[in-house]
Amino acid sequence: MHFYESSIITTKDGLHCQVYSNQHPDGKILVKPKYIPTDRISSNSLPYRFISGRKMNRLNLWIAQDKLKQYIDAFKKAYPEYVFRSPLYDKSPLFFVVPKDKIERAYSPAEGLYDLMGMPEKDLDEHLKTVVELVKFLLKSGIELKYFGITYSTLMGHYSQYKSDINIVVYGKDKFWKLMGFLEKNNHPDLRWKTYEEWEAFYKKRNRRIIHKKESYIGNMHRKKSEGFFRDTLFVIFAVENEDEAWFKWGREKYKRVGIAKFRGMVKDNKSSVVRPGCYIISDPKFVGGDEACKNLKISAVVFYSRDYCMLAYPNENIEASGVVEEVTKKDGEKYYRIVIGYFGSYLNQRRDNEYIKVVDD
Amino acid sequence: MRYYEAALVDSTDDIQFKVYSSTHPKGFIIAKPKYVPNDVLNFVGLKKRFLFGKCMYRFNLFNNKGIVEKNLGEIRNKFPYYIYECKKHRNWFLGVPENKIKRFYDTKKGLQELLKVPVEDLDSYLKATRNMVDILAEASISSKNLGISHSTLLGNYTPGKSDIDILIFGIDNGWKAINHLEKCKNPSLTWKSKEDWTRYYEDRVVSKVYTKKEYVANMVRKKDDGFIDGNVFSLFCIENENESRYDWSAEHEPLGTVKIRAKVKDAYYSIVRPGFYELKNSKILEGHKEVPIKRIVTWARPFSLQAKENEGIEACGLLEKVKSKEGTFYQIVIGYFDTYTNDRGEKEYLKALIK
Repeated sequence: MHFYESSIITTKDGLHCQVYSNQHPDGKILVKPKYIPTDRISSNSLPYRFISGRKMNRLNLWIAQDKLKQYIDAFKKAYPEYVFRSPLYDKSPLFFVVPKDKIERAYSPAEGLYDLMGMPEKDLDEHLKTVVELVKFLLKSGIELKYFGITYSTLMGHYSQYKSDINIVVYGKDKFWKLMGFLEKNNHPDLRWKTYEEWEAFYKKRNRRIIHKKESYIGNMHRKKSEGFFRDTLFVIFAVENEDEAWFKWGREKYKRVGIAKFRGMVKDNKSSVVRPGCYIISDPKFVGGDEACKNLKISAVVFYSRDYCMLAYPNENIEASGVVEEVTKKDGEKYYRIVIGYFGSYLNQRRDNEYIKVVDD
Repeated sequence: MRYYEAALVDSTDDIQFKVYSSTHPKGFIIAKPKYVPNDVLNFVGLKKRFLFGKCMYRFNLFNNKGIVEKNLGEIRNKFPYYIYECKKHRNWFLGVPENKIKRFYDTKKGLQELLKVPVEDLDSYLKATRNMVDILAEASISSKNLGISHSTLLGNYTPGKSDIDILIFGIDNGWKAINHLEKCKNPSLTWKSKEDWTRYYEDRVVSKVYTKKEYVANMVRKKDDGFIDGNVFSLFCIENENESRYDWSAEHEPLGTVKIRAKVKDAYYSIVRPGFYELKNSKILEGHKEVPIKRIVTWARPFSLQAKENEGIEACGLLEKVKSKEGTFYQIVIGYFDTYTNDRGEKEYLKALIK
């Protein structure tokens, strides 16, 4: 069974986890714990939700850093089997995993949507009617229903009508890009894109203000057709990779941490910038600052774990990326260098506000 | 594990059942299917819900007989083990063999978890649930004797639409709640009006023999269903283990459908399912020669809390001769599962003879 990014796994310990990658180590699934029961650990700094008959903390990586660190430290002790250090790394970043024998249920976005689309309209509430109508519109792109899915609260059934987002999954990067093309050219009376003010409100959250110039950021966001409103409900469309189109295969590369640095470069290929982890292939890398050890490295890829950086930049645009520089050794011995943004560990130190990808003018 | 009324269990076939009794025959839990995956059985005439990532049938016995028979036939063909042929009752029950239970949803633990969530992190529906718990606390019912079930517990509710289902453990606690709610003047609390009960009658068609007016008069005084902060709430009283009176070892001999009148001697157990009313001065009006009727047993929730002590009642149901540890006696039973498929279902009722 292939575990696609953005699927949901509930575990035998009661955690609700969001699959965080399309590639996984043997016997484990890379995830981000989304809702964590409060019987073993809890934090008043994280929001609480009552889900599946339990008081849960909703993991938010943007709370006060000392509180987040305390919580993650407690998590590591309470749920050691959900923490993974990979031998593929010389110094492994922090990963969260669900060991396969801990899976209670894996929710399939594709199967869920297939079932939902077969429901009689009279048996749907307003939220689900909106989902169905949105998907009917997306199907006009020529992409078949089997390449779509629905995830998060809509899939799990604990959504709030008129409040919860609609999270659509598209299986396959080509299909996703085709859909983006369709949405650029086609409209629907119930569809609207985020306004300048809505993107401005989005810009003000997290560390975006620290990183990006407001006008250029909002300008870049405006061209994204993966987020908008349908019948006034926010929808977000995610791409997930099929197994045969993964831009990297877990286990076929080894990683050595070189340092922390900031680089600029020109985007050569952004095809894999729609998935998580995502990747921009760049050319003409220029060292902007950071550890001396990184200074003369020829960075060829910018990798990110935060969906914030999906489809941010397009070919021939220049970007600046700040993150962890790694030497990557392929199975055949070939080496290349990459810069990675958004490992979980970076949220626990000053890198949280210093890691980024942004489009730059020159 | 104790499986009590109004709790939820999932079977190994991913069917969600609502437990229908707090006592059970050995190895089998009396329960009604609630949500059945669309791809597991081929039902007709049922609403569908998108729940738990799947299209589910909302199983419902309140339907025309043909539909109920067809759907029960589906269960009988594919999953015969969900039907318990009880030789002692000479009747059948729906439910789950204990060894087919995959998951039990703990209603008490669920409420305790909810109570730990800071109020500011709750939506309006869960705030209303908390409010109801606070109101019950005014009647000296500890939250330890309360539970939540169904969508309130599972989280698939819709504020303003879904019922808030609260379980009260212990018959004394159940009566404390009812007595308190009869007097309570909390502004958050409102009751179903005559119009609300009329609508309910029209939607559920409790009995064709029972007029709308009689039904409304009987129901409007009940305090186990109402509104809290604009949400419908339902209280389910669950007998504690030591309070159970249902004897699964008793022999039941069905003697036919009868109509009776009687006075209620004791309504203490009318608050649970299966519940019963102890009777005195019974008189059989139709269907059988005169025999003294000891009690009316109700398996259908609409007949809970229907009559009070010393009130006259009229009822129609199945007359049984029962041989149990208590001795041999006659009783009327209303709401066995078979009534959803036979003519008796349309005839059965229980009403207090009040204006």
